[in-house]
Amino acid sequence: MRLLIALVLAGVLGAQPLPLGRIPPGRTLLVIEPHHDDHTTDYGMGGLIARFVEEGHRAWYVRASNDEKDGAHGYPHNDMINLRESLEATRILGMEGVHGLNWRNDYMDSIPLNELRAQLILLIRKHRPDAVLGHDPWAHYDRNPDHRKVARALAEAYWMAGLANVHPEHFELGLKPHRVPYLFFKARVDYGKGHEPNVAMELTESQVRKKMKAYSTHRNVYASPAMARAVRAQIEIPEVKGLTDEEAAVRFEEWHMEWISRKRGRENGVRYAEVYFYRDEFDHLPGLKNYITSNTVKQ
Amino acid sequence: MKLRLLLCMAMSLLAQDQKVLVITADASDYVLAAGGTIAGMAASGATVWLVRVTNDDKDSWDLPPEETARRTREESERAARILGIGKVVSLGYRAGELGGVSPTELRDRLMFYVRSFKPGVMFIPNPYAEYVEVLDRYYTGQAAEEARRAASLANFQPPFASVGLETHLTPELYYYAQPFDPRRREAESTATFAPQPKALDIAPMLAKKIQAAQALKTVNHALAMRIQQRLQETGRRLPLLDRVDDDAVGKLVEINVRKLAEIGAQGTGYSAAEEFHYAGVEYQIPAKYR
Ligand SMILES: [Zn+2]
Repeated sequence: MRLLIALVLAGVLGAQPLPLGRIPPGRTLLVIEPHHDDHTTDYGMGGLIARFVEEGHRAWYVRASNDEKDGAHGYPHNDMINLRESLEATRILGMEGVHGLNWRNDYMDSIPLNELRAQLILLIRKHRPDAVLGHDPWAHYDRNPDHRKVARALAEAYWMAGLANVHPEHFELGLKPHRVPYLFFKARVDYGKGHEPNVAMELTESQVRKKMKAYSTHRNVYASPAMARAVRAQIEIPEVKGLTDEEAAVRFEEWHMEWISRKRGRENGVRYAEVYFYRDEFDHLPGLKNYITSNTVKQ
Repeated sequence: MKLRLLLCMAMSLLAQDQKVLVITADASDYVLAAGGTIAGMAASGATVWLVRVTNDDKDSWDLPPEETARRTREESERAARILGIGKVVSLGYRAGELGGVSPTELRDRLMFYVRSFKPGVMFIPNPYAEYVEVLDRYYTGQAAEEARRAASLANFQPPFASVGLETHLTPELYYYAQPFDPRRREAESTATFAPQPKALDIAPMLAKKIQAAQALKTVNHALAMRIQQRLQETGRRLPLLDRVDDDAVGKLVEINVRKLAEIGAQGTGYSAAEEFHYAGVEYQIPAKYR
């Protein structure tokens, strides 16, 4: 009986829409991810990145891995194709550029955590982002070693970049300490209870379109013509009639992004959305957050 | 029934001569998350030791790491004395760098103190508490949890036994964390053999806890300066921090500790509390056998 009540409760709570978030104040966004395509993996980010840019942020993408395993062309060719596609996809989202850290794809478990973190701290101090987007360091069941590693490094880099005793050598270059005030963490919300989003970010149709395009730009890993051929052999899909298998595959991938953005929108009372675990600027001070926000005045 | 009686006798013996081992990653975490409870135990006669894993050398304003580490060491010893802690061991690992330290090395260093002190109670950072910003706390919690277990098994570090550090099982374990995890109050899957949420009244010890937290002047001053700077950069100000002097910082710390106690007390009926995940008797023997 107790179990039944718990299940019913969970069902009801699960159906509760999340609060709709706003783009936090600022001018600069840094997206820190392991892979070329992570702006749209795990259902996230492509739309929110486009929204940040449309609302006035300049955005950069940090790509920690060389993505050599993604694609069927052998490591060095995959590297180059994925780099090219990464530049194209981030351009579609309106981003300014990509920092490639070039760590070996899917072998990041064994790389020195503090060395990776140092690279992120340097880039955070260079760009001084107001917001960072990345994978949730506390997500469960992420089977990708690179996702875990980069999220773990990011979990410390965003605040340690604000401490003057951390990598003081950076200050020789004129850089200054900088703590990132706003964070958006993504993860698969359908992987158990390891990631529970606390905010839904509404998207416009144009932002969803950019997300769809950015995703399908990664032809080297997605949009396989063989997949499209297999699907079309089984069912007739009027919308892709007359298209080549390659074109149909691109269409399928784009629908996937449209579908998830629409689904997250419907769950949260808007047309399109993405969901995140959001950290506000003083959430790291649970005992002071209320006091600071209710006593702060304009200068 | 007999077993229950025996357990009660054992527990009351423990209480008379209670030894408490507190493990913390940094100077402030255990004070803010568990300081009231620890002070209460010390006040009722327990002998308390503290092992502080890092040297806190990063957390300051306008001070080099060496001077930061020196001051924070003194201040953490002062804070510990206020709480009634008898001995502070500082392992001296560099702050923020435990992610690069061998977990086994850290475990064995902590195990040394479990075996030599033979505590009845341990307080450790909760490695399962999510969204804790300072990952040193996570690494320390993991190593401490393992150290408790390894200390009880003879095949871990045989050389320890050769110098008289015999195996020891610590019967009670408190996992502590500041309230970052939105789901920290959710019970674990089963009530037996899994640590469960537990809140403890700290109202009589709140003043001591505030005083201990205020003793950590270097980290508190840095915190106040960071808040002030962030507000200033964004065209805002907090009147309390118009002048960041000892009084203002002390007040800020008091607000913080009082609010944390209020958050801990939510839904408990207490006015001030600390929340833990606790593994005690239930963790060892299921209720039906007691
Ligand atoms: Zn990825």
